[in-house]
Amino acid sequence: MASEVKTGDQRGFSLSQLPLTERHVGFLSILPVILLYLVISIIPVGYAVYTSLHEVSLAAQTWPFVGLQNYVEVFQIDRFWDSLIRGVVFMVGSTILQLIVGLWMAMTLNRINRAQRLITAVVFTSYLIPTIVVTLLATFMLSPSFGVIQELGANLLGLWSPNDAPLGQRSLAMPLLILIGTWKFSVFITIFTLAQLRSIPSRFYEAARVCGANKWEMFRDVTLPRIQGVILVAVLLRSIFMFNKFDLIWTLTQGGPGSATTTLPVLAYIEGFQNFNLGLANALAVVMFVFLAIGGIAYFKAFNPSSEVET
Amino acid sequence: MSTDTPDESGLDPDSIRGIFGLDFRTADTLYQLLLSLSAAFFFVLIMFPIYWMLQSSLKTRSGREAVSWLPTGETFTLEYYTDLIGSSVGTFIFNSVVVTLGTIVLVVIVSLIAGYGLARLEFGHKENFARFLLFGYMFSPIVLGLPLYLIWRNLGLLGTRVGLIVALTAISMPFSVWLMWKYIQTIPEAMEESAWVAGASRWRGFRDVVIPQTQPAIIASALFAFALAWNDYTFASILLPEQQQMTFAPGLLQLINTGYGAPWGQVMAVSMLTTIPPLLFAYFLQSYLLKGFQIRSL
Repeated sequence: MASEVKTGDQRGFSLSQLPLTERHVGFLSILPVILLYLVISIIPVGYAVYTSLHEVSLAAQTWPFVGLQNYVEVFQIDRFWDSLIRGVVFMVGSTILQLIVGLWMAMTLNRINRAQRLITAVVFTSYLIPTIVVTLLATFMLSPSFGVIQELGANLLGLWSPNDAPLGQRSLAMPLLILIGTWKFSVFITIFTLAQLRSIPSRFYEAARVCGANKWEMFRDVTLPRIQGVILVAVLLRSIFMFNKFDLIWTLTQGGPGSATTTLPVLAYIEGFQNFNLGLANALAVVMFVFLAIGGIAYFKAFNPSSEVET
Repeated sequence: MSTDTPDESGLDPDSIRGIFGLDFRTADTLYQLLLSLSAAFFFVLIMFPIYWMLQSSLKTRSGREAVSWLPTGETFTLEYYTDLIGSSVGTFIFNSVVVTLGTIVLVVIVSLIAGYGLARLEFGHKENFARFLLFGYMFSPIVLGLPLYLIWRNLGLLGTRVGLIVALTAISMPFSVWLMWKYIQTIPEAMEESAWVAGASRWRGFRDVVIPQTQPAIIASALFAFALAWNDYTFASILLPEQQQMTFAPGLLQLINTGYGAPWGQVMAVSMLTTIPPLLFAYFLQSYLLKGFQIRSL
């Protein structure tokens, strides 16, 4: 958020027709945002915190206050720790893979000369295709009886037995989820990076070439400083999104086989909407939020994605 | 778009070594080859599933069950597309279009005004406010389901498309506000000031000077809102339980789960129809999108 602090004193003439001060107008401009934020974030989060402190049953009229009992229970169940580990594996694996693929796509799209627009369009499309379509398509292509990937992977390459559905196997389910997620979400990083790459003046590279820099040196000294800041932002957002990712996992595997792909959001959903254990589910949600908040603050402290690189 | 043509820089190409100690010309050829291979790889990687969806939607059942690259004369059919006309799936898609358009319009209006306020007006705690907004993303959306359901029921928004539009707008808003704010900061303030000197009010300056220049960020925000609304399954299934207002994501799942044996032909046809708008947007709006995303920091 490095913007030079401006004093609003030289603008008297612009607001002279208005009986409002600049502070009022400024506040009014963000009022709709605050209202929306209230109904989507503040109230639901307040509700979750409230519920997590009570013994909730849908049948009872009153919910007795139980203090931190739900939280104690969260930390005592094995499923929590297992799901946390699986969730972290899913988040870190997804983010790293998406970062590599996303950067590689951006570098490629930035430099190709033929059919650039078409290939860019196809690549961007993967981010815009509805998750449900990705899920159904993956299910269809991995179907043991008529799936094309099943045909290629099992019958041609022998990666798994032709009688098995790969998503139904404990060892394959999580890597496959990460791969499917990467197919869809890498483009998020590509868009951010490519936007930066396009804004680098070509004279920088010409100057580097005149000085005798090779491709790697150009990347290290010209490209990287320009895209560093935005990569830090994109990685933070992707990590948060992947940690909270629910729809893709739920529609593909329902957290199975067994509990091989049960991450924390899936566990919270099962506890809340299937076992009707609302106190526990909301305590889980609060724990997840605190986990991400601490991680986010640590990330800010370590890398400071707010600072702009001046080039 | 800067193209990287090898030019004669006046230096002896053999006196400096490129990467891995190769001479520059070999390094360049190798680089171009890698580039073309990467481009082809990504194109195939993303296009193949889309192609598979298209050809599967044009095949009869027996054609789909024998894995093949193209429908043959006797397995080719358009029935899955013609069947959609007048079916409930048509309603699902219509509902999705209404919800998505509504979300886009609302997101753009709200984030334009807020982005302008954050970029141009002085009031306390601006940066903290923007950071606070991004913190909203840290709360898992799935847990918001139940409280949202209760709040929407009390507001009388449950089961209405407007209700889903408001929810989706609120979800995609933090990111759009941040995008607008950062983008408006890059527009020189002097242009507005000259309009004020000419006697324009702040509102006129915003309308006639800022908005036209913010076009790339508007398109980027709109596309982001589109991705979110068009993608949404979780909120749609909680806030629109009735068949009448259902959007296509829960609708498709319903289609899969009714009867025995998934109607893959129909599912692939609907999936194909929902993939066409993203393809068109990605093709025609890509340059605006990239311009809108030229931001440098949080």
